[in-house]
Amino acid sequence: MKQFLNDRLPLDGVMAHLRKPLPKHINLLFSLGSLAMFLLLLQAATGAFLALSYSPTPDHAYNAVNYINDEVPFGKFVRGLHHWGASAMVIIVFLHILRVVLYGSYKAPRELTWVVGVLLLLVTLGFGFTGYLLPWDEKAYWATVVGIEISSTAPVLGDVVAKIMRGGAEVGAVTLSRFYALHTIWLPWLAFGLVGLHLFLVRFYGSSGTPKNTPEDMKTGKPFYPDQVFEDVVGMLILFVILACAALFAPVPLEDVADPTNADYDPRPEWYFLFLFQLLKYFQGPFEILGTFVIPTVGMLLLLFLPFLDRSERKVLWKRPIAMTVTSVCVVAIVGLTILGATAPKLETQEETQPTDEAQQVTPPDTETTDINEGEDVFDFQLTEEEIENAKDVGEESE
Amino acid sequence: MSKEGRRSFLQIATACIGGLMSLAAGIPLIGFAISPAWKKGESQWVDVGTVDRLKNSRFKKVNYTFTAKDGWVKATKKRSVYVTDAGNGEWSVFSRTCSHLGCLVRWDESKESFLCPCHGAVFDKTGAVVAGPPPRPLQKLEVKVENGLLYVKEA
Repeated sequence: MKQFLNDRLPLDGVMAHLRKPLPKHINLLFSLGSLAMFLLLLQAATGAFLALSYSPTPDHAYNAVNYINDEVPFGKFVRGLHHWGASAMVIIVFLHILRVVLYGSYKAPRELTWVVGVLLLLVTLGFGFTGYLLPWDEKAYWATVVGIEISSTAPVLGDVVAKIMRGGAEVGAVTLSRFYALHTIWLPWLAFGLVGLHLFLVRFYGSSGTPKNTPEDMKTGKPFYPDQVFEDVVGMLILFVILACAALFAPVPLEDVADPTNADYDPRPEWYFLFLFQLLKYFQGPFEILGTFVIPTVGMLLLLFLPFLDRSERKVLWKRPIAMTVTSVCVVAIVGLTILGATAPKLETQEETQPTDEAQQVTPPDTETTDINEGEDVFDFQLTEEEIENAKDVGEESE
Repeated sequence: MSKEGRRSFLQIATACIGGLMSLAAGIPLIGFAISPAWKKGESQWVDVGTVDRLKNSRFKKVNYTFTAKDGWVKATKKRSVYVTDAGNGEWSVFSRTCSHLGCLVRWDESKESFLCPCHGAVFDKTGAVVAGPPPRPLQKLEVKVENGLLYVKEA
């Protein structure tokens, strides 16, 4: 069998490539990329199975998630893996990027590898944003309302972008359908395409190694396969065990079904968007756009074009004071804002003195429903004998 | 024609055919995806209750429903507003949607203010911004009274 495959496929060449030595001093931080890829595969697998029992309509989405949780065998576990896997993916991708920045691995000739990596970060956040609307609970609804409103504050095209995302005037059936399509078709295609390109570039340029690697060290370390692959697999196993424990013992939150009139609900996004949520509080009136558009966009563009802005060849961190300062400030700001957002007190208002009025509309609502008379057959698809005869006559005439 | 000339012609022709097909498929596909951008919303008058029932209301929370098209479905939409009877047949109805990022504001009787639970916005009883990030006042809905019913205009 092996000979059969060898005669037809360049397996020996692939194996020789995989056995090429890595640079010396490769440490555990170099497994973060593999862990991110593992999580992407885990999300794809669990998501594909969750989709078997999910229906992306406002009438059914919430019940479908409840059904998965309560009735489908292993449903709670699969949903738990998917939920906690999403959080783990954001953490691992963030740490991976941080490692690349601190080791200066984005520098020439690996600029494109970096750019594709930053695009993958955006795709990861896109997965998060489109994914948490799907349960159609309070958090899903309100976080999406706020998220889309943030995009509407962008100059010139903001409103247009918001309408395209919503698919209508407000978050509803079309929005849910669009987000589901983005989450399960568009973004996965994009993610796997970008991951393929990222891996190709990583293998093409080889590992950047650590800052203390000399040119002689670059090809004298352990081989990628099996040494590094084994370490990566052990890392994946540890991560999977952690996620499995979380899925088994930490319940995945599902709040009440989305209610656009529930003002008692304090909307909060998922923890990985809390820093942005908190940031928005500090820019008032005409400066609102700084928090909603300018800072996130400029920050992301700086990240994207980092290799073209920092062209020095120095990789050792203490010889790059600007990079070290900016990175430290960003990390402290993101972590600090996340903590502030998570611990922000909920709003307490004094109850209104008058009870809520549930309007009993006097004018009939604008519906296309027609009254059905008593005894009328609504779904009568059975033809009468007379109708069958008529149909025969028409057929004969046409011949 | 030389071999070089023939090959450069084939290259250009291949690029042209590919470009043409991309345009022919791409324009309708993009139009399909972004069509909500130029769809105009339809406004309608919705009754929120009888004038008798709402008489003397002061920032009274009223929830109501109406039917509107949402893509392929006629959906029942839920809304919540604050209604005040200003006397002399004048009414003020505030939308509860915060003008910042769309969360629902709450009327606080002791502070005589609308408070937003999301980013700390505060509006006074006229809907003007007192504190927090909103760039605009709270939206006051258009109202009318007909046949003893109070109507608001839903955009």
